[in-house]
Amino acid sequence: MPALLTLITHNWYDIRDLSNLSGKIEQLIRDANGPGWLVFVVSALLGAAGIVSFIGVAAIINIWIERRVVGRMQSRLGPNRAGPFGLLQPVADAMKLMQKEVLQPKVADGLVFSLAPIAFTVPGILVMAVLPWGRNMALANVDAGVIFILALTSLGALAVFAGGYGSNNKYALFGAMRVIAMLVTYEIPSVLALLGLVLFSGTMNLSGIVLFQAKYWTPLLLVQPLPFIIYFISSSAELNRTPADLAEAESEIAGGYHVEYSGMKFGLFYAAELINAVSVSAIIATVFLGGWWFYKLDEVVPGWMIFIGKIYAVYFLFVWTRGTLPRFRIDQLLAFAWKWMTPMAFLNLVLVAAEVLIWNETGVSAGLVLPLYAVINTAFAGALIVAWVKVMGPKFSRFPERLRYYSQIDVPSLPAVAPRMDEGAPGLTEGRSA
Amino acid sequence: MITDTGIVVAFYVIGITTVASALMVAAVRDLIHAVLFLVLSFVGVAGIYVVLSADFVAVAQILIYAGAISVLLVFAVMLTPAGDRRNSETAFRAPAAVLAGLVLAVTVFVIYDTNWRIASHGQFGATAASLGRAFFKPYIVPFEVASVLLVAAMVGAIALTQEEGEDGAA
Amino acid sequence: MPLKSEPVEVNIGPQHPSTHGVFRMVATIDGERITDVRMVVGYLHRSMEKLAEERTYTQNIPFTDRMDYLSAINSNLGYCLAVEKLAGIEVPERATVLRVIFSELQRIASHCMATGAFINDCGAWQTPVMYTFRDREKVLDLIEMTCGARITTNYIRIGGVAFDIPDEFLPALDRLVNDDLPQRFDEYDRLLVGNEIILMRARDVGVVTPELAINASLSGPMLRSAGIAWDLRKADPYCDYDTYAFDIPVGYNGDSYDRMVIRIEEMKQSLRIIRQAVHRLTGGPHKTEVPLALRPPEGEAYARIESPKGELGFYVVSDGGPAPYRWHVRAPSLINLSVLKEMTVGQTIADAIVTLGSIDINVGEVDR
Repeated sequence: MPALLTLITHNWYDIRDLSNLSGKIEQLIRDANGPGWLVFVVSALLGAAGIVSFIGVAAIINIWIERRVVGRMQSRLGPNRAGPFGLLQPVADAMKLMQKEVLQPKVADGLVFSLAPIAFTVPGILVMAVLPWGRNMALANVDAGVIFILALTSLGALAVFAGGYGSNNKYALFGAMRVIAMLVTYEIPSVLALLGLVLFSGTMNLSGIVLFQAKYWTPLLLVQPLPFIIYFISSSAELNRTPADLAEAESEIAGGYHVEYSGMKFGLFYAAELINAVSVSAIIATVFLGGWWFYKLDEVVPGWMIFIGKIYAVYFLFVWTRGTLPRFRIDQLLAFAWKWMTPMAFLNLVLVAAEVLIWNETGVSAGLVLPLYAVINTAFAGALIVAWVKVMGPKFSRFPERLRYYSQIDVPSLPAVAPRMDEGAPGLTEGRSA
Repeated sequence: MITDTGIVVAFYVIGITTVASALMVAAVRDLIHAVLFLVLSFVGVAGIYVVLSADFVAVAQILIYAGAISVLLVFAVMLTPAGDRRNSETAFRAPAAVLAGLVLAVTVFVIYDTNWRIASHGQFGATAASLGRAFFKPYIVPFEVASVLLVAAMVGAIALTQEEGEDGAA
Repeated sequence: MPLKSEPVEVNIGPQHPSTHGVFRMVATIDGERITDVRMVVGYLHRSMEKLAEERTYTQNIPFTDRMDYLSAINSNLGYCLAVEKLAGIEVPERATVLRVIFSELQRIASHCMATGAFINDCGAWQTPVMYTFRDREKVLDLIEMTCGARITTNYIRIGGVAFDIPDEFLPALDRLVNDDLPQRFDEYDRLLVGNEIILMRARDVGVVTPELAINASLSGPMLRSAGIAWDLRKADPYCDYDTYAFDIPVGYNGDSYDRMVIRIEEMKQSLRIIRQAVHRLTGGPHKTEVPLALRPPEGEAYARIESPKGELGFYVVSDGGPAPYRWHVRAPSLINLSVLKEMTVGQTIADAIVTLGSIDINVGEVDR
């Protein structure tokens, strides 16, 4: 048995870590005295192939997951006809979209209109490149990884704007402007939320953040719950998912930026939205949940499997909120970011900075300090949220909100001859004429 | 000199894209197109930073210029009336061309005239930590001055755009 | 430096996901704020009132199904009451009770639809509408059990109802009314009434003042949300509604949220009425025989009922012939819709959609 185990480990086909394969190829090139850049090109192509194949499958599977899960939440079955459990439904949908005619409005801005779906797809895929999929499985181990993903997630909104503007449609333009406004607003709390984590773990490298969590056996979610909430909300705003799907807002602006898109161009927007959802879930899984690490499990199970499991756990949260909550109004959503999340993120940052300073200065053991910080931060987050709701919560004019109940009502007796309007009928003094 | 073929090829591809899109910014008529080309040239500049092994600066370039500045430009363009949203003909065309030519000439002259210290191809290492240390140790005063200046500018902008008699509750 | 944007005219409808049919609303907007609204109705006009002058009184009942197709039985009832008043037809006791049961069931179905669609307009991703549809389905199952149709029932006839209830109806009704729906309505209470986002979206949105409500002749939940206690089941009782014990929920603020809560409360009150009505079911005929080509004496009659949307009135004039000389409908959807401009100007587009959803129009009834 151990012999069998060594057969599948420490070889290029060891599925637990794809870096074995690329390392082997690198070794081969070095041995053959190949040019130095070839190593980079080959390993980049290998990683890209892996990521793109994952994304391709994920985009298809996610449609199915989303529709099935939401179907269950809505007390219906969801797609269950095409293939086993309806698994082929997304394939059928994709086939349909490919066959549909791609319409382009006559007044549309041709190039912008056509390039926008492509530009929208790119950032979501690029994010995958810097995420650590296993202990040695980051395609690009960028040192400023956190800033990199923040930069990329902000680029997608620009593509959406280009699509909405290029359609030359009023609804699409509304969607486009809403996206831009939301980007400006939600960029700040999401940056601040991740900054707290960077401060705590002392590195901007995503692999470093995972290693930090693996070293102390603590997912950062436990230590920093408030940034998780803030980042989750602001990323769902950036993803255009339902509590904040103002850019498409089916019921208001009839689909928003993609109202004029049809066929595979629409399909690309649709797929890119799912890909972006996976990327953001992956970011959350990396930064807050420890990525490929899960206590002792990552020694047995390939890290990327754990990682994908975590991605889908977070993705389920997104589907859940989407299936549950109605939409905000645009001004409410923006006010929420400026008045609630940005100040909270700042306060959290100050607290985290103080905690890191204390930890570094005193040098108390992590086993003591991390549970303490977890308790403090959770209490802080709870208190802050409650206080903010009390102080700045929505106030509605003219309460009470309870209804009155009448079991008998007064029926006014009508006069025998109705008074003429110019004689001033009672109760008709104002209103309609305005 | 840099001899790595990959780097050289990457530099020329990115450089040509950047310069071409920068030219298009000035050439296209539609202002939104100009903004989109500007974004492309920002991304190109970020690519050049990557070639120069300055990963943090590259990423910051994308985050700030391609992400934020371009959004502000989009806002500015969308707030102008549709009729003025053209890169229209102007009487300043000839003087502007002369000025631009002069700037180009000076730049090219400086590039050729300066005795550049040519570093060997740097390590693709961690630049964020050293940047941070530089900001907070030797260059703390300029850094703080710049921060204060930006805050002052922000407050000033808010004060200027605040309408008379508006209590700010929106 | 004031930042002003250009006013833009946006066509909301006739093909828009949230106009509840083919209703068109031309909104002039400044940024996201609406400065003017022009309503265009008539895309679903089928000239029923004119067509009815060519058909016998009985043949006209299916037209009423197709007016407010979400509460067809109520429309049937209003028309039949008018004709009965005109011709002086007595309705058997059992038929009256059945009419009460079915019109209250239909009210539940209609309010389910209205509530679900309203939350959908607030931007929920189909979940509440699926919940309310689930409950509406159960009600429609009962209606189908009795008369074979779910939407366009054609159930209430001049002089009674078309069919007596089958044997399995009463046990099913008992299960639905005493077991199933009360739980569901409590679920709505938990899910919708206290929902923070719905409060933010619907409170103080689409406000109708009491003066406006009276002057514009609004009725139904629109009027009651403005704080005016008025329900034709109490104010001008028909079908012995005055002998049933039930309450009329009345709001304070006249906003969209009040209208939603009032609808949920009215569904609970409808359950109360049905429970009482079941005990009154006696034997006897379910229909008075009336001649197929009914010729009412020369004259006119107006009958009004409290349909889920409001006061539904039918004005029928007879010249002694087999077809009505004139047939006019006072459609609550149309009249409630007439204040849309007053309700929406000054709000954002999103609010206007919420407001329109809270009026609960049915374009089939608006245009007829």
